[in-house]
Amino acid sequence: MMIAISDYIDPADIVKASIETRYEIPFFSSYVQAGFPSPADNYLEKVCDLNDLCVTNAESTYFVRVTSDSMIGDRIEAGDVLVVDSSREAVDGKIIIAWYSGGHTVKRIHYAGDMVILMPSNTKYEPIYVHPGDDFRVFGVVTFVIHKPL
Amino acid sequence: MIALVDCNNFYVSCERSFNPALENKPVIVLSNNDGCAIARSNEAKALGIKMGTPYFQLKELIDRHDISVFSSNYTLYGDMSARIMSTIGRFVENVEVYSIDEAFLDLAGYESTYPDLTALAKEIRSTVLRWQRVPTSIGMAPTKTLAKIANKLAKLNPDHQGVYLLDSEEKIQAALESYDVSELWGIGHRYAAFLKHNEIRTALQFRNLPDDWISDNLTVNGLRMAYELRGTPCKMIETEAASKKAICVAPSFGRMVPDLKTMSEALSTYIGRAAEKLRKQKTAAGVMTIFIHTNRHRTSGNNLPAKQYYNSRTVELPHPSASTSELIAYAQEALKSIYAFGYNYQKIGVILTGFVPLDFQQGSFFTNLPDERLLKASLAMDKLNERFGRDRVRVASAGYDPTWKHRQQFMSPQYTTRWKDIMKVY
Repeated sequence: MMIAISDYIDPADIVKASIETRYEIPFFSSYVQAGFPSPADNYLEKVCDLNDLCVTNAESTYFVRVTSDSMIGDRIEAGDVLVVDSSREAVDGKIIIAWYSGGHTVKRIHYAGDMVILMPSNTKYEPIYVHPGDDFRVFGVVTFVIHKPL
Repeated sequence: MIALVDCNNFYVSCERSFNPALENKPVIVLSNNDGCAIARSNEAKALGIKMGTPYFQLKELIDRHDISVFSSNYTLYGDMSARIMSTIGRFVENVEVYSIDEAFLDLAGYESTYPDLTALAKEIRSTVLRWQRVPTSIGMAPTKTLAKIANKLAKLNPDHQGVYLLDSEEKIQAALESYDVSELWGIGHRYAAFLKHNEIRTALQFRNLPDDWISDNLTVNGLRMAYELRGTPCKMIETEAASKKAICVAPSFGRMVPDLKTMSEALSTYIGRAAEKLRKQKTAAGVMTIFIHTNRHRTSGNNLPAKQYYNSRTVELPHPSASTSELIAYAQEALKSIYAFGYNYQKIGVILTGFVPLDFQQGSFFTNLPDERLLKASLAMDKLNERFGRDRVRVASAGYDPTWKHRQQFMSPQYTTRWKDIMKVY
């Protein structure tokens, strides 16, 4: 093949490629016909990464470990790891992590007037009624439960 | 406009982030080796605890006021800092991470979003408060030096709710008029005393001095500062962090160390750390200095000053290297040449300088190029340690039971970087 003059590259323009920065490149399932395409080309997608599934907001995501069976009705057991996102809003009905009088707890949050109710899902435990001025603050919303089966 | 975001009492705030029981209580964080107070909550400051007060002098105060004390948990602080800087980067494109707890932001182009700069700063502040539970102060002004002043005003005056904008000449003048010249960013003790001697007490007086006088007496740096105070930017936002010019690893031993074996194990570990830093910034070092010294303030049994010894050795490497095992080989030779028997050592340190980029190395005529395989081995070691925890894989000469590791009596859990340390919920 001939190389046209316009293809000439000035040596000064030849730079070393760097692979320092990585960009996510969108994958298109349709392919361009050129020679014989490999049948596998269609399936070249990124390997599944649990982080993509469980961590949508890395800066505000924390992991915590459960030590009680107070949320057993929601299939959250002692020893489980919870993925918690502090950027999510603790809207009524969400399972949340909150600081309440000296410890962090996992409960379902409900709002009733100016009172907050932290509901366990185990009849052995009483709901916690949080009144204005109590030592209480929301840490984040539970987004995933990591449970190891027996 | 430039903004300076500064995390309030950062180390204390990191501890509080995972332990709200510390809110509204006096808290201090100690330096490496639990030496002295390096971070104080406002309550601790109110008790008169000064920056840098040695821990042993504080013991009585700590008991009397039930002050919570922490060893510095740099792993936690580093991770929280990275999260905060990354969060700020979601709002503003050009962020200069100035230190672990400070960042300058280039606000050009954001004037009418959010809908104005104050609203933008408030949004950044409340987001960091919610996502990392760390309170910040944000000062905004036309230059970095003025932004630093605006930041202080944001922090000191509760009315500003952590955000203050110096956007008009009147506001700037009013701020500078009550701002002590010794508090200015970049004015050291000597210049502060010199200025006071010349009846210059406020930042406003300093700003209005003639240029000639400033450059004659305070060099071009002083002049730059005056320009910055007048609203002309001289210090630009630097988003590309300049590679460090030198790397130093020299923590004190937790106890006095007399023997060469322990010293050389410590040295190997420190070289490992320094080399890791080297490779992280993609440079190789050409010059290495090893130094050792005894404790200058120690007395011997009969209350006379103890025998002292200090020595150092600088080695010019045959070729720049970033390989842990290669650097260790030279470091151990250097140590052997300066070690003296019969002293109790307090510290051994290593300083690496003479950096060249890792991918550009020149072989000199008589020495071989660095062994590529050694460098590859080191990089693989970094990867393993990143994955399985610090020092999991190390060079054998780093020893096995590092009893010389420094003291960290009051260390909090590494909530975000170690699985066994994550927060417990009931």
